Amino acid sequence: MADEYKGIKTFDQKEWVKENLSYKKDSGSWAWIFHRVTGLALIGYLFLHVYSLSTLTSGRTAFETKMQSFLSPPLLALEWFLFIIVLFHSLNGVRIVLVDWADGAKYHKTLYRFSWIIGIILFLLMGYIMFSHEILKFFGK
Amino acid sequence: MFKLQSTKNSGANSWIMQRISGIALVVLMIGHYILMHYHPDSGHTYDAVLGRMQYSWYRIIDLTFLSLGMYHGLNGIWGIFRDYNMKPWLKISVISALVIFGIAFTVWGYSIIFSIPYLKS
Repeated sequence: MADEYKGIKTFDQKEWVKENLSYKKDSGSWAWIFHRVTGLALIGYLFLHVYSLSTLTSGRTAFETKMQSFLSPPLLALEWFLFIIVLFHSLNGVRIVLVDWADGAKYHKTLYRFSWIIGIILFLLMGYIMFSHEILKFFGK
Repeated sequence: MFKLQSTKNSGANSWIMQRISGIALVVLMIGHYILMHYHPDSGHTYDAVLGRMQYSWYRIIDLTFLSLGMYHGLNGIWGIFRDYNMKPWLKISVISALVIFGIAFTVWGYSIIFSIPYLKS
C-alpha cells in the first residue's frame, strides 16, 4: 500500500502501536494521553472506593478495623499521590472546558503550563493538610 | 439486528453533559479531599461519618457526588471506546457492561449511604 502513494506517509495498520508512538507529541498530546490514563485510574478508584466503604453497613467495629489499615503512613502517602491524579484530571479538565467554551485554543499551551504550577502548589498544600497532624505531633505540639 | 443509528446520535448531549458534570466534580472532589483529610479522624472514624450523615443535605451531596462521578467516569470510558471502529455487537456489549456495572455500583453506594442510621436526639 505504501508504495502507491510516493512521498505521502500512509498508515500501516499492522504497526499501529509503533505508528502512534512515532507521532511528535506536543504539550496537548501529552495532556490528552495523561487525561485518559488518569481518568481510567479515577473510575477504577471509584469502584474500589465503593467496595472499601461497604463495611459501613456492618457497623462501627468492622468499619474502624478496615479504616485503621488505611491510616498507615505508606497508604496515607498513596492517598496523597492519588491527589496528583485528581489534580491533573481536574485542572486539565478545566483547561479542556476553556478550550471549548472560552476560545482557549489560542492560549491552551499557557494554560497547560499554568495548570502544572497551580497543580504543584495545590499538591503541596494538600500534603500540609493531610500531614499537619503528624507534623505538629512530631514537634510536640 | 443490532443496528445502531449512529447518525441520529452525534454525541453532542454526552459531550455537554461531560463538561457540566466535570465542572461540578472539580468542586466536589477537592472539597471531598479537604473534608476527608483535614484531620486523620475526619475520614477514618465511624463517629465522623455518622456525624456528617445526620444532615440530610450532606447525604444528598454524597449521593449527587457518587452519581455524577459514576456517570462522568463511565461516559468517559465510552468516549475512549468511541475513538475506535467497533463492530455493532461489540458496541452493544460495551455499553451494556458499562451500564450494568455503573448501575450496580451506584445502587451499592446508595445502599451504603442509606444504611447509616439517623440518631434520635
